[in-house]
Amino acid sequence: MHEMSLALEICRIAEEQAGPGQAMNVVTVGVDVGDDAGVEVSSLAFCLETLLGEPPFAGAQPAINRLRGDVLRVSYLEVDDGRPDD
Amino acid sequence: MAVRTIEVRERVMAKNDELAADVRQRLRAAGVLTLNLVSSPGSGKTTLLERTLTALGEELGISVVTGDVQTHNDADRLARHTERLVQAVVTNGACHLDARQVAAALDALDLERTRLLFIENVGNLVCPASWDLGEDAKVVLFSVTEGEDKPLKYPKMFQQARCAVLSKMDLLPHVPFKVEQAVEFARRVNPELEIVFTSSVLDDGLEEWYGFLRSQLRRRSAA
Repeated sequence: MHEMSLALEICRIAEEQAGPGQAMNVVTVGVDVGDDAGVEVSSLAFCLETLLGEPPFAGAQPAINRLRGDVLRVSYLEVDDGRPDD
Repeated sequence: MAVRTIEVRERVMAKNDELAADVRQRLRAAGVLTLNLVSSPGSGKTTLLERTLTALGEELGISVVTGDVQTHNDADRLARHTERLVQAVVTNGACHLDARQVAAALDALDLERTRLLFIENVGNLVCPASWDLGEDAKVVLFSVTEGEDKPLKYPKMFQQARCAVLSKMDLLPHVPFKVEQAVEFARRVNPELEIVFTSSVLDDGLEEWYGFLRSQLRRRSAA
């Protein structure tokens, strides 16, 4: 339950940062998790996989990066916005 | 197709912490002391608040925001013991209150008539430890039916608490609970923790609890 509430907040941040109507184009959600953050990483990953598979997302994958300390943050998004390669 | 990377670096709790800071500032400006009451389900938070509202509701100007996953049952119980407003928050499945819910609940409270605000959190010793609600302090309840090692199993909550209430002391003759060991475990996790021992059913230990509340209000007034 704790991890689900954190996952919901991570998805809110990802949706906001992707921009209006762009959540469906998010490919990866990068999350930094500290060893002392009080987070069970496999449970958080499972919750994120579930939520990111549902609208407004469309199958984005979580990429969890373990760090020292108690950090817990969304570090980056990868977005496929449909524009052609440069 | 090009995949672009957006640097975010936003703390997961940033939005909640920002709202909690606003709540804290608003309550302090109104001269309100706020205690976040936390425990596992069934430890006796609502019963302790019933007794407290009856004894001190008017004297200490107590208001309550009470959170539950479903139902208004706790709010209905508390409202029978006070003319003061009891504001219910139904979380609809969430296992904790967040600062946004508390901020919204404050709009329905008469802060000018409030000196002491209790936030009765959802029964859960894990998640509420991570969500700042803008309170001045946490008070954690645990009962003699739960096991002496609660402080060791849920250290974050006990580390954050200013006071622990060991409740349902009237059941002590019927359960294999070692009070001294529970106190030792609690102090091992948080040496500064104040501990009071209560039975809301028998009204035992409640004067010590009321004494803690009065001391916190004096401390606030002196600050």
